[in-house]
Formats: sequence, C-alpha cells, structure tokens
Amino acid sequence: MTKTDDRSAFGHPAGASERRAPGAGQPSRVRPPGYAVLRFRKATFLLHRRSAAVTAALALTLAAASLAYLCVGETFVHPLEALKVVLGHPSPDELVVGTLREPRMTVGLLVGAAFGVAGALIQTVARNPLASPDIIGISQGASAVTVGAMTFGVTSYTLLPYLSVAGGILAALLVYVFAWRGGLHATRFVLIGIGFAIALRSVTTLFMTKGDYLVAQQAQIWMTGSLNGRGWPEADPLALTLLVLLPFVAWAARAQRTAAMDDDTATALGVRLGRVRFGLVLLGVVLASVATGAAGPVDFVALLAPQIARRLTRTAQIPLLSSALLGALIVVLADLLARKLFAPTELPVGVLTAAVGAPYLIWLIIRSRSVRNGGTA
Amino acid sequence: MTAPAPAPAAAARLTARELTLAYEDRTVVHDLDLAIPDGKVTVIVGPNACGKSTTLRALGRLLKPRGGSVLLDGEALAKLPTRHIAQQVGLLPQTPVAPEAITVGDLVARGRQPHQRWWQQWSDADETAVTEAMERTDVAALAERSVDELSGGQRQRVWIAMALAQQTDILLLDEPTTYLDISHQVEVLDLVRQLAAPTPAGERGRTVVVVLHDLNQAARYADHLVAMKEGRVVARGTPAEVVTEDLVGEVFGLDCVVVPDPVTGSPLVVPGAPWQPQDPGTSAAPAGPSAPLDKKPPLDKKPPLDERPTS
Repeated sequence: MTKTDDRSAFGHPAGASERRAPGAGQPSRVRPPGYAVLRFRKATFLLHRRSAAVTAALALTLAAASLAYLCVGETFVHPLEALKVVLGHPSPDELVVGTLREPRMTVGLLVGAAFGVAGALIQTVARNPLASPDIIGISQGASAVTVGAMTFGVTSYTLLPYLSVAGGILAALLVYVFAWRGGLHATRFVLIGIGFAIALRSVTTLFMTKGDYLVAQQAQIWMTGSLNGRGWPEADPLALTLLVLLPFVAWAARAQRTAAMDDDTATALGVRLGRVRFGLVLLGVVLASVATGAAGPVDFVALLAPQIARRLTRTAQIPLLSSALLGALIVVLADLLARKLFAPTELPVGVLTAAVGAPYLIWLIIRSRSVRNGGTA
Repeated sequence: MTAPAPAPAAAARLTARELTLAYEDRTVVHDLDLAIPDGKVTVIVGPNACGKSTTLRALGRLLKPRGGSVLLDGEALAKLPTRHIAQQVGLLPQTPVAPEAITVGDLVARGRQPHQRWWQQWSDADETAVTEAMERTDVAALAERSVDELSGGQRQRVWIAMALAQQTDILLLDEPTTYLDISHQVEVLDLVRQLAAPTPAGERGRTVVVVLHDLNQAARYADHLVAMKEGRVVARGTPAEVVTEDLVGEVFGLDCVVVPDPVTGSPLVVPGAPWQPQDPGTSAAPAGPSAPLDKKPPLDKKPPLDERPTS
C-alpha cells in the first residue's frame, strides 16, 4: 500500500517533476505505457513508440525492396540508374525501369497497402485473425461479378475494375445482412462469410465453364491475382481512390481502439459501436474491392499483413500504417520472386502469396484460441 | 467537466419512468418507477433473475426500454447523444472484455474516451484523471502489465479504475465485488462510499448505483436501498426501513433474524433456521470438526435462486 513506491513502477523517474506543488494541479505523470504524447498547440496525439519504430523500419525495408524490384529482372539495372529514372532524370534505362517496372510496381504497392488495411479493419471488427476479405467472400464476390462480365463479353479494362468493386461490396453487404441478428455477432459474421465465399467461388467456376476457352483462361489468371501487364492505367485510378479514402482511414485508426472492446463497455464509453463497426467494415470492403479490381484477388495478403504487423508492434489493436506497409512489402517481394523465380516464365503474384499464406493460415488455426472465443463483437 | 453540477437536495438526475424491459419476448421488468438520489449510494438487491442487472443496464442505456423511459436531467436517454451521456453516466458491466494483450495503463486510459477527440488524444485532464483513478483503486503498480495476466481481483480493480477515469457524476456498477475476496470487496465498497462522500469544499459527491448480491453488504453501504423481486420494486428506502425480517422473507424466501451490525449498527441479516441434516433418521449432532463449515448451508436452502441469470 505504499503508493509513492508504486508510482515509480510507471517507468518515470521518481523525482521533482513527479510531485508538483498542489496549486499546479495533481501530480500527473500516468500515461498509457509505451505511448509518447505529441503536442501541437492545443492538439495532442498519442504515439505508440514501438509502432513508430516498426513503421520506420518497414518503410526503409519497403524502399529497399522497391529499389530491388526496379533493378532486378530480365536485365539488371544499376540501382543508381534506377533511382535516376524514378526521380525523373534522363537515363538509358528509361524504358525498362520507367515504362515496364515502375508502373507495375506502383500497382503492386498500392494493392498491397489497400489489402493490408482492409484486412486489418475487417479483422478488428470480426475480432478474428481469420476474417480477411479473401476468406469472408469479398474477393469471391468481386471475382464472380468480374468473371461473369468477362464471359458475357465485357473486355474493357476500364470497366472491369468497377464491376469488381461492385461485386465485392455486394457480397459484403449480403454477408453483413445475413450475419446481423439485432447486432453483429463476430463468429457468425466469419462463418457466413466463409459460406458465401464457397458459394460465390462455385458461381465463378460456373461462369468459367460456360464461357469461351480463351476467356476462361484470362479469367483464371485474373482470379489468381496478377500484376502482369498492369501499369499506369490501373495505378492512377487506384491511387486517386486511395487518396480519397485516406481521411477515412485516419478516422478508422482512432475508431479501431473502441471497436476492440465488448459492446457494453464501448457503449458505456459513448461509442456508437454499431455505426463504428459498419464504417470500419465498409471501408475495409471498399479498399479490398478496389485492390481486387486492379490486380485480382491476391490471396492472403489481407490475412497476413495485419497479423504480422500486430506481432511486430505488440499493440492492443491492429496497427493500420504498419499493415499497409507490410501489405505493400509482401506484394512487391512476391511479385519480384514471381517474375524471377522461373524466368522467363512469370508466375501470377497470387500464387506466391498463397504459397506463403496458406501454411501460415493453417498454423494460425492450430494455435489460435480466439477462434473458439470469437464471442459477440 | 469533472465537478458534479450543484443540485438541490434530494434531487434525482437519473430517473426511470414506467420502465418495461424485455429480452426478445420475455419481459423482465414491469412498469418500474425509480429515482436515483443525487450524491448517494443506491444499492439494488434482490434474488437472482429479479431484473436488477437488467434495470442497471437500462439506466446506463445498454438496453433499450420496451416501454417507458430512463431520464437524465428530465431528458430521455434515447434522445441524448451517447457521448453526452458518457460524460455524465459511467457504467461497469458485469463481465467486460478487454482487447487482447492490452496493458493496464492503456485500458484505464480508455475510460477517457468520451472526453477526447481525435485531435485531443491526451490532455492534462486525461492524465490527472487516469492517475487518480489508478491510485484510488491501487492498480498504479500494475500499469505496464498485460490485463490478460492479472488475477480476477486485480482485473476487477483495473476495470473500476477505467470507469473512474471516465469521471462521471453518476456511476453504475454491476456486481463489482463478484470476483473479489472479502478484503477487496470491502475495499471496493469503501471506495464507493468515498466517491459519494461530499467533497471538502462542501459539494455533493458522486451518485453511485450498485447491484449487489450480498444483502448485508448492501445494508451496510447503501444510503438508499432498492429491493426488487420478479421485475418489480418491492421496497425502497434506507437500509433500516427496507431490511426487515418480513421483507427478507418476502423477497428472498428466507427465514432470518435481523440484528444490528456490531460495527456500524446497520441491519445484519442472520439466517434464522439452523442447518439440519436432510435425513430425518439421523438424530446425531454433526461431527465436531465439520461444524464450522456447516454454517454456510442456509444459503443453499433456496434452490430456485441458485440458477444464475443468463442476462
């Protein structure tokens, strides 16, 4: 019961700053452990120190991986030349780096980041590491609509991404409606999503068997998730969409804090949990659908990135920025390998992410307790 | 923000009017009228499944009334912004769930949610409130520990700290002593009294509503006691008015003797009929060593009450 001794356990040096004069207010030194407080005039922000370090490290790694991506390929380009191209200086490697590799990499980065954040948001709401857009039917919805459109002769690559987005959102809406019973039950949400994913997958297969052989092959490649042939026409609208969604992601990063609590506690804290959850899921679905529209369902990125990010930062909620960076890193590295591994034959990037992701998923199911303790969300 | 608004004596900011509460098609509380006196400790007691926790949930707008309404300062809770309510009314549910791997300090800090904006994530007021809350509940030393690894008693104190950090004028606690051993139970209830005590400046203390299982603790700590049975209020008033042999018999179905508590003088319920062996054939007295343990069984004499409510 020695309260003054307890105080030193906060990690603050017990000293003069601890005990201010009573007139100067209470001795106010308790902060959420691991957080630093940033002040800008009246605004204050909490910064998780470890997350900041992880984010910085990931950003550096991503930069290095991106540079490697630009250099490695059929022909090797010197990193300095590659940098020159990126910075807009004239270079003999303009064609290889600037026209072929850079736009494709940009799509990969954006798609990976979008999947990373989408997975983080959906896992937060479902309180389940298994709940990612490619597990609960969102990617499958996007695939079904896209492949359906392809077999009915839609070949316009400007139109297909929009159809894909519509399909993803529609599928998510159906899952949400069916999982709703006076509230969103986390486990039911995931299970119904898995059910929808299976059903939609068979719809896609149906379209493919009905369709023309060439269309089916094209659809098959799209469905695996591929960056082959992707460039500025995909990158530009994707970047624009993500830019528009950025403020919502900033909101989500804060709203996530309360979405991880139980309904009663969150309500008592004045959080409209139903709305918050709906907002988070909607944002996650839009992000996943947009990314799927650009590159097809690149499996397991949305599942992997948030889980790894959280293990790195050790935060109580899934860190969005780290998830985005990790998603981008996974896709860029996977596509680098996909291009290089069996060169000159290229693999779809989704094959590689699945090769890494599937064993991880199995491991997650084996050791996860939270699958059983899904509870109400 | 922190200081409770001065209110006239015997006023009640939080009231329930013709409140009917139901889970799906099962009505749990019928036409309940209740006024929670400001700056006092109100304890709701009653047998299991009498609707006391349900009533508390409705007072904290966790449950929408089927009929009637709960009023805060004369305004129906349903019409008030939830954030505004959260600045006035705090509630600690019976079994709150912490986010995975969260630290104690982080969890308590989340009690500040209704006072924060996304651009005001940590003010001096937040820091003061969290510090005070953690010291009052004696969990300051645990700040950096993970909530997952705490004992039941520690965890309960951390949750109470979170509710205190919210700094609401009205605090609703749903069986806050459930997981605690007796010394921590007393500590929590002492804390409740302390919260409701007038400040040195003469302002009234906070309004606290507690659902308790233990009738003797209720009698000892309540200013205002509400006894419920089958979804209705059977009696209300001071513990001395409410805790009588007749009433305990009526509400709990227990024969008892009410004597003054030797320490505080509040009514103390002592089960009336001594324990008897079930088998009428054995007339022998219980064996010596087991005799002290046998004092408990009178509690088990009410079989229908032993079923925990699912709510």
